[in-house]
Amino acid sequence: MTRADVIAVVLAVVMLPFLYVSFWGNEGVADTIRVHSVEGIITLPLTAHRRLHVQGPLGASVLEVSEGRVRFVASPCRGQQCVHSGWLSRAGDVAACLPNGVTVAVTGRQPRYDAINF
Amino acid sequence: MRRPGSWCLWFLLSVATLLTACERPAEKVHHEQIFAFGTLVEITIAGTDEATAQRGSTAVIRTLNELHRRWHAWEPSPLTTLNEQLARGAATDVEADMLPVILAAQQLSRASDGLFNPALGRLLSHWGFQLEQRPEEVPPPHPDAVRELLAQHPSMEDLHVENGQLRSANPAVQLDFGAYLKGYGVDLAIEALQQLGIAHAIVNAGGDLRAIGRRGERPWRVGIRDPRGPGVLASLQIEGDECVFTSGDYERYFDHEGVRYHHILDPRTGYPARGTTSVTVVHGSGAAADAAATALFIAGPERWRETARAMGIEHVMLVDAAGKVWATPGLAARLTFESAQPPEMEVVTLP
Repeated sequence: MTRADVIAVVLAVVMLPFLYVSFWGNEGVADTIRVHSVEGIITLPLTAHRRLHVQGPLGASVLEVSEGRVRFVASPCRGQQCVHSGWLSRAGDVAACLPNGVTVAVTGRQPRYDAINF
Repeated sequence: MRRPGSWCLWFLLSVATLLTACERPAEKVHHEQIFAFGTLVEITIAGTDEATAQRGSTAVIRTLNELHRRWHAWEPSPLTTLNEQLARGAATDVEADMLPVILAAQQLSRASDGLFNPALGRLLSHWGFQLEQRPEEVPPPHPDAVRELLAQHPSMEDLHVENGQLRSANPAVQLDFGAYLKGYGVDLAIEALQQLGIAHAIVNAGGDLRAIGRRGERPWRVGIRDPRGPGVLASLQIEGDECVFTSGDYERYFDHEGVRYHHILDPRTGYPARGTTSVTVVHGSGAAADAAATALFIAGPERWRETARAMGIEHVMLVDAAGKVWATPGLAARLTFESAQPPEMEVVTLP
């Protein structure tokens, strides 16, 4: 075996797990947050650590992104259903403040669900 | 003759090539979220080009907004005009395409033995559930007001068609199709997509949805929200054409003096139905699934099977107040529970 052969073999062996993860292994892995409001769509990585103030017709809804999770901290609606939804972390998880027109969805490269029924 | 190292190299490269050859084709999916119909509507379209998908989204939005405008139960609309006429006992003309919808709701109400009762709009109004933002401090209605209304027995059976005109024999009848319109709406929305040649789509109107076709090489995957948590309770796959509708006590409610009052009112008592947390119905028609989810919720853990049978619904999952899951065999076989500790489930056949 020449040195070139060895390099090629090593490269192929190294590439196999990468290819596997790339084509089969990433399904349902949450990596992105999509916030939808009357102002438009905001996309940010789930790894961010920050608070977002999203304006809606009733005022600002406050979202917190931390440790791979996102939640509504406060919203100017009466029902507070969005706040009660708690932390979202899996691809396909969705919470909405309908009165204020703000939704947050956790998405992945391949979402676990195509739709959520509730 | 080749050296052994070369064989090894060629073998590994072949495997790597085969792996890439097996890549699932990345299905281009058009996804849009909009506020229409007084709720959040998600439109997912697969298997078509972007321009057609965009036309499909626009058609869905137009369809749902038009429905919202015509059937609004408390803001001035053709329906509120109709309600005023019905309260006066006058025979009234109904827009041509509205009458069949009302008559279909009447049939569903009859099949549910009145548990689905869109003639009780006044009761919803007493409770304040018609308001987008019900003020939290408003108490439940006075029991006398509820009793008085129920004593008049407003029902879909009070409606009669005479010479193409609609009349109510009971002035207490006020139509509110809140528990039916989302179903009818997703049916119309899917029809609008099909007319554009779109065969693979989901229209999800505020959590209730109809799915047609599939997502590329696999069926659509639908997660059913856990009624007592933020996550997903169970999931199921849909291929072809099916609706998934859920009625839950967590959707609209208010707390008063330590008691929670939700929006699914029992027409027999005038108060929120107790004993059920959520009911999920999987069925071919959105309108029927919507009405059935409400009726079965009210029927409760004791009587839902009889109501499902009478309404022609086969696929049901009910979560009772204790968190126990009841499901018909057809649906139970399709459900995948998503939590590490699946809930207690009992599979029951319909009578």
